[in-house]
Amino acid sequence: MERGYYWKRIVRSVISILLVISIVFVLVYSLVPRERIFNSDDTLVKLGGKPDEKLQYQMRTWQRLGYIDYENMSSYCSTLYEAGTDEIAACNLSGAKEEKDFVEKYESLGYDITYLPLSKSPIASKDRPIAKRIVEWFIQLIHIDSPNYVDEEMFPDVERKIYFGKTPTGGLAIKCSGCEYKYLAYTDTSFPFIHQNWISLYLGQSYPTFDSLQVLNVISDSQGQEKRVDTVFEDGHVETSSYKMTACKWKNSLDKLDKNKFQDNYANCTTIKKDPSMMGISFIMGIIALVLAYGIGLPVGLLMARSKSGLADKLGMLYIIFIISVPSLAYIYFFKYLGSTFFHLPTAFPTYGVSDIRSWVLPCVSLALPSIASLMLWTRRYMVDQMNSDYVKFAKAKGLNQSEIYKKHIFRNAIIPIAQGIPSSLAGCITGAIITESVYSVGGMGKMLPDAINSYNNAMIIALAFLYTTISIIGVFLGDIIITWIDPRISLANKEEGR
Amino acid sequence: MSEKNDLFTFAEFDETKSEHIAAPRYSYWKSVWRTFVSNKFIVAVCIMMLVVVAFAMIQPLFSHYDPMYAPNINDPSSKFQSPSSEHIFGTDNIGRDLFDAVWAGAKNSLIIGFGCTIINMVLGIIVGAIWGFSKKVDVWMIEVYNVVSNVPFLLLAMILSYVLGSGFKSLIFIMCVTNWIYVAYFIRTQVMIIRDREYNLASKCLGTPTWTIITKNILPYLISVIMTYVSREIPVNISYEVFLSYLGLGLGQQNASLGRMISSYTSYMNAYPHLFWIPVSLLAVISISLYLVGQALADASDPRTHR
Repeated sequence: MERGYYWKRIVRSVISILLVISIVFVLVYSLVPRERIFNSDDTLVKLGGKPDEKLQYQMRTWQRLGYIDYENMSSYCSTLYEAGTDEIAACNLSGAKEEKDFVEKYESLGYDITYLPLSKSPIASKDRPIAKRIVEWFIQLIHIDSPNYVDEEMFPDVERKIYFGKTPTGGLAIKCSGCEYKYLAYTDTSFPFIHQNWISLYLGQSYPTFDSLQVLNVISDSQGQEKRVDTVFEDGHVETSSYKMTACKWKNSLDKLDKNKFQDNYANCTTIKKDPSMMGISFIMGIIALVLAYGIGLPVGLLMARSKSGLADKLGMLYIIFIISVPSLAYIYFFKYLGSTFFHLPTAFPTYGVSDIRSWVLPCVSLALPSIASLMLWTRRYMVDQMNSDYVKFAKAKGLNQSEIYKKHIFRNAIIPIAQGIPSSLAGCITGAIITESVYSVGGMGKMLPDAINSYNNAMIIALAFLYTTISIIGVFLGDIIITWIDPRISLANKEEGR
Repeated sequence: MSEKNDLFTFAEFDETKSEHIAAPRYSYWKSVWRTFVSNKFIVAVCIMMLVVVAFAMIQPLFSHYDPMYAPNINDPSSKFQSPSSEHIFGTDNIGRDLFDAVWAGAKNSLIIGFGCTIINMVLGIIVGAIWGFSKKVDVWMIEVYNVVSNVPFLLLAMILSYVLGSGFKSLIFIMCVTNWIYVAYFIRTQVMIIRDREYNLASKCLGTPTWTIITKNILPYLISVIMTYVSREIPVNISYEVFLSYLGLGLGQQNASLGRMISSYTSYMNAYPHLFWIPVSLLAVISISLYLVGQALADASDPRTHR
């Protein structure tokens, strides 16, 4: 019964994610004018005086981002003739006889033909249907590395196999030849000890901000200055470098420096940087705030319930009303002001950087304030509700002492709905806090969505929508599972009683 | 003997009197009013709130404040003036009068807060009442709710304001497009709790139409619950406007907005504190008083608190 419920729920969650992403896709790609993505593109400004190049650059960018299918004469010519011949040079000139064939061919395929403003050379473009793009996005989403990754034509003699081996630092590894990554899975001494590159999420290419990077790398790679340490290379030599040897990817063309350092083509290594990733910073900050919130909110809520209508209760309510009714922006600034004038804490995160504990104090406190208020409110509410129930009166009549009733009877029951919220808030830490992070200029996840929106980074918006939705769905699901653990009376299946 | 008898007279026997129910006259709205005014502190807050709201609605009609109009922008002496008799709240970084600006902003915040709350509540209550009453509707609506509630609101709000552009209409649309479903879900749960109570079953057996049961038997019971929800909803909506304007996605440059004022004046917090603290305080006064009055009204409208 329960298992059936879980499966149904998982299927429903997946459908929800599909629907949400589809809606966001339609909103972002059909309602926002596509010219806007160039608003902050310097390349386009540089091409201002060259209308031909400008149009072609726009077309190529739209093609790269999946808006359109695009063809021009030079790509058409290279399908007709061998590279480097006279024919291809003649074909590329404007007014060539092949232009007529080009127009005919792509018109029959349903493309729109336009002519470049100066050279009058034809280009063909066709809008890609949104439904097709959504399907493709989900197909590309989960990327599994395989030994067929390396181009067969360019590298015919690369061995293609998966085998067991060791990492340069001596850990166990599943290695691959012919895959994108050399180390598909490996162990090392850093948390969580077993790592993998085998299966990865592909959430699209970032543009125009963080150009030429994958969206996922933007939010999950370390930031800041390079961290140069003694690194053991493949052939055993040690060199000061910031490369992460276990995250090296295949590189098609090696330069001289690469050849000195690496024995094979796996030379495209990620560099390790000093600061945690955007996700990492948001997560650390969120966890600290969460611990603060539960550490303060729960006990204060309990105290308020015990001294109902007393002084502690009234003071607590005052705080709760303040937090609920004053816009968060206003009280975050208020606490920022208090912290900077009376405790001389930095008002901007980058002033002292990640490694200094003072940078963390104000953002974490700001983040915890609203959670403390809501925890206080709900803990008090649930406790008061339980205090008036019959079983508590019965326990009192039996002669149990007050603290025993609180601890063993009331608290155990009141904690259930509060425990349900823990996974959600834990998972929510990853998505960051939008206001807090922008007020304190923290380099975390929270500012990514407004930044992406303001810079028209559509791929980033879709990716963040996906992450936010998935995380919140998983959080709620885990919360429901946790309450069935704590309280065996609760059954998720058959929740709605029929009448 | 006769003197004593004079004290008493025989009462006439009246048959209709036996049909009379001897209960004190109870008027619901009068009791609500009596309970509400019995709390002097809340009455004071309520009067203050009414004054502030009325002033925010009327003052901009006379000041004609326009955020795009800055006649003193090239006059350095008119910038950053401290509060004085000429400019009660001083002037801002481009020489505009702050007094006019904050009231124009407060008016917009109030319109957004009340407007969105009214739309959400009306839609939510109507849909929620039907949803809670009909099992057929429930099967579908619960699925719609599952999808909608999984979309983080901020994400949706930001994407929609990105897509629709900034401005009054789009902001109200954004804050209503999905939020009514949370009201509806809340009402649905409440309706489900009381729809199967005995008095409703009896009413049904006697042949009362469903619509009458919903409007006459169930909704009045919900007034205090709805009021509690409303009193939270108005500050929350004002807060969202502030938040979206802070991110540059809310009302847009052409409308005065307390949110944008706060965000753009934060850099002057130390040098010209009045620029920052006046909009923040006004916002706080408006939201807190609305919340307190709403909570008091909710308590007063619960018949169980009536004596």
